[in-house]
Amino acid sequence: MSEAEMNEKNRANDAHPDEMALLLYVERQLDREAAQGVSVHTQTCTRCLTLLRALDRESRLLTRSMLEQDEPLPARLAEFHAQVKRNMQWIWGVIFGLAVLGVYALYTGYIEPWQLQLEQAGFGSGNLLSLVVFQGAFWKGWQSMFSLFEVLAVMTMAGFGLFAFRRYLRRGSAMAVLFASLSLLLVVSTPASATEFRKGDTVTIKKGDVIHGDLFVTGEHVRIEGEVDGDVYAFASQLDVSGHINGDLIGFVQTERISGVVDGNLRTASNNVTITGSIERSVLTWNQTFNLDSSGKIGRSLTAGGQTLTVDGKVGRDFLCFSESTIISGLIGGSVRGRGKDLSILSGAEIDGKTVFEGQKEPSVSADAKLASPPEFTKIQHKTRERGGVYYVWRVIWTGAFVLFGLVLAGLMPKFAMETVDSAGHLGASFGLGVLVFFGVFIASIIACITIVGMFVGLSSLMLWLVMLFAAGIAVGGIVGQWIMGRSEEFWPFFLRIVVGVAAVRVITSLPFIGGWAGFIVALWGMGAISLALYRRLQPSLAPNIPPVPMPPVSAPLPPNTTVGGI
Amino acid sequence: MSAPGKTEPTEIIARARTGDTQAWGDLYREFAPAIFRFCRRAMPTREDAEDATMEIFMKLRDKLNQFDQSRSFSAWLYKIAANHCWDMLRRRKARHDKDTDDIDDVPLESPEPNQLEKLIEERTSEEVRKALDTLGMRARMALVMRYYSDMSYDEIADALGVRRQFVGVVLLRARHELRQALGENTAIAVGGNR
Repeated sequence: MSEAEMNEKNRANDAHPDEMALLLYVERQLDREAAQGVSVHTQTCTRCLTLLRALDRESRLLTRSMLEQDEPLPARLAEFHAQVKRNMQWIWGVIFGLAVLGVYALYTGYIEPWQLQLEQAGFGSGNLLSLVVFQGAFWKGWQSMFSLFEVLAVMTMAGFGLFAFRRYLRRGSAMAVLFASLSLLLVVSTPASATEFRKGDTVTIKKGDVIHGDLFVTGEHVRIEGEVDGDVYAFASQLDVSGHINGDLIGFVQTERISGVVDGNLRTASNNVTITGSIERSVLTWNQTFNLDSSGKIGRSLTAGGQTLTVDGKVGRDFLCFSESTIISGLIGGSVRGRGKDLSILSGAEIDGKTVFEGQKEPSVSADAKLASPPEFTKIQHKTRERGGVYYVWRVIWTGAFVLFGLVLAGLMPKFAMETVDSAGHLGASFGLGVLVFFGVFIASIIACITIVGMFVGLSSLMLWLVMLFAAGIAVGGIVGQWIMGRSEEFWPFFLRIVVGVAAVRVITSLPFIGGWAGFIVALWGMGAISLALYRRLQPSLAPNIPPVPMPPVSAPLPPNTTVGGI
Repeated sequence: MSAPGKTEPTEIIARARTGDTQAWGDLYREFAPAIFRFCRRAMPTREDAEDATMEIFMKLRDKLNQFDQSRSFSAWLYKIAANHCWDMLRRRKARHDKDTDDIDDVPLESPEPNQLEKLIEERTSEEVRKALDTLGMRARMALVMRYYSDMSYDEIADALGVRRQFVGVVLLRARHELRQALGENTAIAVGGNR
């Protein structure tokens, strides 16, 4: 109802004026006639007079609450900085340039070499992310669901983002989006085919038994003598596969023996692996001892890391190895690329492609071995002991990248950045939580990743873990900077302390011998500080116990623009 | 309308209009705390309030020559501030915020007077400020304009882009929202039929 209608209504009848009329009266917005009506009425109606006074007291409470100087003017606003702000625009250009440099360094230093090596090992792929996530590293069904999972991954990350920044959002909408994305995630991630779970001290899939669908199996001793028409995920002390697996075999096993047939890929992290049977596709394995027996066969490529690798059987395509000792006496259909202490190519070995080895000793090649070309050998240089100018230039560039990363984080989340630095000051709590998060979250993420149901959660957690790992040095740098220069809550002084602290931390972590350990400690410390700040932020905050502002009695004089009860 | 606790620094304004940087600095220092507090009440976060304050003074510097010296400077400044904050909030609403427009047609129940008095007596300024933070942007903006900067109904209508006759309704609905937020943590109910 509008004020005009209100005035009309009050003229029309002599009933109780409603709250709107009383509010307009208190606000001196009624016309003279309507105001007169309210004034006369409230002289005789206690109820309306009480409400009128309550509305007026509410107005004063509002004014008092808003005018109260509960926080000082931020130092950032102490002076007018328009000119400075404009002049600071150049820093974004520098940030962009250095960020590009940092990304380039990351790519050329880490991603590209791995990508090249993996491509050479037969994992032909345009980019590493799609290789790892979408092109069958864990689940062959990824390829067909590429687009869908991309969208879901983004939605999940958005959900976590909304959750993290929910203080800045309407709680209802943030939670709605979060739950919607999680619900969608749960709905879609349900495996389409039937999945069987087996658990026990000894689990045996007997000869003649057929399991239709994927098999998740855990146990002390797992035997697969029958047939699995799907993928097998095994967590066991000992795994013997003498039967037939139509899909992939993914195992976390101490001792693994494969004498049967695996139609798909083998992905495994084990203590000992022996293959006397056949893997029709590729093998990716990380273990202490790997042995491809003379009767063993791998249809495509073999990528292996470990202490001792022995290849006596047949590998259809390339062999990529990272090991202390590698012995080849079988047939390699493609090239061999290795890195390690030594490589021995024995008689009976046949390598159809190039042989490239990077190690401490030149490869030992038997005269009876058949090689497509002489081995190319590169002696490993211990760069850590010969740190030249280039190394330190890159350290400076990386330090700059860290500082810029810190600037972006602190700029995006200034309050959280300060809370994180404060948390880093609690050494015991930070270290304790850091150990838990560093190992626990990483392991949990990996486990989640290898199970289809938890893939999104696993990848998201892993991403968060990596971001925390990179941000750990900044958090520690912040507290170190505060120890050096003293505490400040203003943005640029706070950031300056981060710069000084990060520089100090980088110097310490660059020192020979102790640098690596220092870096590890910084990672634990910083991740713990970030986790602690997150934990505290997620706790419900309690309002400080501020005594109430004394209200004047009802009979006290009202502000000049109000009248009560016609007085 | 006058700025809370401020007198008109006519001479400083006149010098600032001529490009006197010292006068501009004085003017800024004189009004920045009040404008920051205005923005702090109107905007959802402290960072938003800081940004808004800086931008309002940048606008003010550009527009200072348009100021009619026969009128109240603080009223003019608050109008700029209100328009700026409301623009920021509306832009944000377009992205992800919600507002209370959809409940404008819901009839309001008049409060029970004694319960309303009890609620007002028991609430502290701090609690009121916290409750303000939970209101829809238009409700909060209207309350801030009216009870912080003492803007007239015409000025509020102009800033919010609503008819002047509708301002009272906006304020009353804002008060109801506020009471609901204040009453949520207590057993006090302020609703009731008369």
